[in-house]
Amino acid sequence: MQRQNNFKYESQKLGSWYFTVAVILFGAQLVLGLVSAIQFIYPSFLYDILDFSITRMIHINALVVWMVYAMIGSVYYLLPDETGIETVGIGMGKLLFWILTLAVTVVVLVYIFIQVGPATQATIWLITEGREYIEAPRWADIGIVVVVLGFLANTFLTALKGRRTGIMTVILSDMIALAGLYLAGMYFTDNISMDQYWWWWVIHLWVEATWEVMVGALAAYALIKVVDAKREIVEMWLWIEVAMLFGSGILGLGHHYFWIGTPEYWWEIGALFSALEPMPLIGMFVHVLYDWGKEKGLKENSGVDTSSNNTPALLWLISNGFGNFLGAGVWGFFHTLPQVNIYTHGTQFTAAHGHLAFFGAYATILTAMFYMGIQGKYGIKKLRATFASKMAIFLITFGVLGMTVALTIAGYEQVLIARAQLGATWDAFFVAQNQLWMSQAMDWRLIMGIVTTVGFFYLVKDLLTISKSPKNVYK
Amino acid sequence: MIETFTDINYSFFGLLNQGPLTLSLFLHLLVVLPMFWIYFQEKKRLESEN
Amino acid sequence: MSRKKVSVWSDNRFWQRSATWVTGFASLLLIWLTFDTMGQISMGNQKDIDNHVVKRVPSATVINYKVEYNMNNHRGHEVPVIGGDDGKGNSLFKVKEKFFGRDDYSQKEADALLHLGKLASQAKNCMDCHTLLGNGAYYAPDLTKAWLDPAWGKNGPMQAMTGKSTKEEAMAEFLQHPGKYPTHARMMPNLGITPKEAVGLVAFLKHMATIDTNGFPRGFGKIKEGVVYAKTK
Repeated sequence: MQRQNNFKYESQKLGSWYFTVAVILFGAQLVLGLVSAIQFIYPSFLYDILDFSITRMIHINALVVWMVYAMIGSVYYLLPDETGIETVGIGMGKLLFWILTLAVTVVVLVYIFIQVGPATQATIWLITEGREYIEAPRWADIGIVVVVLGFLANTFLTALKGRRTGIMTVILSDMIALAGLYLAGMYFTDNISMDQYWWWWVIHLWVEATWEVMVGALAAYALIKVVDAKREIVEMWLWIEVAMLFGSGILGLGHHYFWIGTPEYWWEIGALFSALEPMPLIGMFVHVLYDWGKEKGLKENSGVDTSSNNTPALLWLISNGFGNFLGAGVWGFFHTLPQVNIYTHGTQFTAAHGHLAFFGAYATILTAMFYMGIQGKYGIKKLRATFASKMAIFLITFGVLGMTVALTIAGYEQVLIARAQLGATWDAFFVAQNQLWMSQAMDWRLIMGIVTTVGFFYLVKDLLTISKSPKNVYK
Repeated sequence: MIETFTDINYSFFGLLNQGPLTLSLFLHLLVVLPMFWIYFQEKKRLESEN
Repeated sequence: MSRKKVSVWSDNRFWQRSATWVTGFASLLLIWLTFDTMGQISMGNQKDIDNHVVKRVPSATVINYKVEYNMNNHRGHEVPVIGGDDGKGNSLFKVKEKFFGRDDYSQKEADALLHLGKLASQAKNCMDCHTLLGNGAYYAPDLTKAWLDPAWGKNGPMQAMTGKSTKEEAMAEFLQHPGKYPTHARMMPNLGITPKEAVGLVAFLKHMATIDTNGFPRGFGKIKEGVVYAKTK
């Protein structure tokens, strides 16, 4: 079988470059996650060499960056499909890809080998900004903004020249917000309340607003491609999702302003708006299953082949509907009310929610986009799930669910013992950490992390080889 | 039902916050009510179309 | 005239306009709320303390004062109490407390210490093990009210362990050589914190303990005494 590049557009090829780096960073995320999980059980592991603060930071930074890569890749991938034309500044797009990748590499090397610096502005500019999730030093921040501006220019100019679809309109407006919000993260102040106020603008308004809308748009595109869903229906759902996601998500930001020094009125705003955040996620879940069933029924009636065009992508889309609702919706709602949050804030509960939500909402759909990329690259008409595709989806989902349950138990124990019973002091913290229930939960978290990683190896194997398997590919 | 003001600083939002979810319900109403207007406008448009 | 049956609920334009309205208006509300909050969480100065003005984020000069975390009947939860308690959980802004041997840090000196400490907290990635105001990683204790932790007080083990006779000196010593003073199998790494940075960090911690966090963490450091709180009206 010929291994040639079947991309019709350079933009799709560029998208696949982004996908490749994303998968590599996904792997880095898992490795560093495992190291962090081991450190919870054996604290002397790499102590004073590669401490938990560093491994955990790279674990989460790799996650954020691989998802941003996969999103940019997805946009470059669907851009020619949606607009009907080649991306205008494709040369610039490729240059920016290399600049961004080089910058990310330098940042990671500095994280690993320099780690911390003296308490000066130079450290903030060159080594680490030390603000959880967005530790990247200031020079890299500026670089990221420049690269993203180039990316925005590219997509806007292309969309203006070509066809303008509803999906493109949503993506374009969402990306302006996404890029603009990052500016709120490039900020130093001595006032930690002020610091965290703006810090949450980046973190929350990315993860619980703009990113959600972005994956909503990607899901819409994928449904059209994978199950031949009707564009008008898909785009209507997309607008409903935008209304509900932004309607609840923007002011849902309030649930981060309960305890950081901000006024009491945020209790109410954060509670009710963010309690509504699961609603659009239920909507998205119903939407995926509904469209799949409906299109299948229509095809059955007209006697056409009812199979989807890309079963691995469809499987990941379904797990998105499920995981987004469960991880972001249910696990988020668990601790979003201030009456609960006063005890759960800053415990493993948050980690449990984080694991399932990021996986369910983002990793799933972006993996579906990887499979779309494979389909496009090899010009495959119908892609069938292989054994490895199924193992990947089963092991990764099962592993992440397992980690989530383990962390939930750990969090629950911490809430009751360290917080409610003993009053949140240094001693209280370690009494809770020493409990058998905590250490067992941490053991299970590591085991489930390994399961997830094995699943990841299946995923990589599948992405590399599925196109070579004649049984699973219909040209 | 309406509690005494408990927060440190008086403010518009702080005052609205003194009843059972009054602040949050008020904000939700502000967001949702204009959608009725959009609804009826769109209904009129659809009815008058061809 | 016969009315045509139409479905607005399945109409794209209706949802598109609704989405635009909801997004735009929610953003405007957020900006309005942000202006309101900014005013309330801006950092105070010594004048506020002199005039007994309660600030959510008080002046850096609180390091000159005694700090507690007491139940406030009016607020219904614990609040930071600066310079003595009037018996109802309100700050008196009077009682001083030595910080590294002094209780007369000027605004400029206190600001500089806090600035150094905040910078150090970022340069050393504190938030990637600890939580500050409850945000961060869950590998090490929350530092929101660390200044008030009984472990560092007169009856706690940390002063004896580090061989120091005050809370601030014990904290500064620990921060510089955490590997020497393990409190748990999980130890804080040696981050090359200098003596000056350590003083800044302790000032930062003391200041953070005076931020009004709406009662978080509830019951901090109070459990041993077995104090039962009830909101009395």
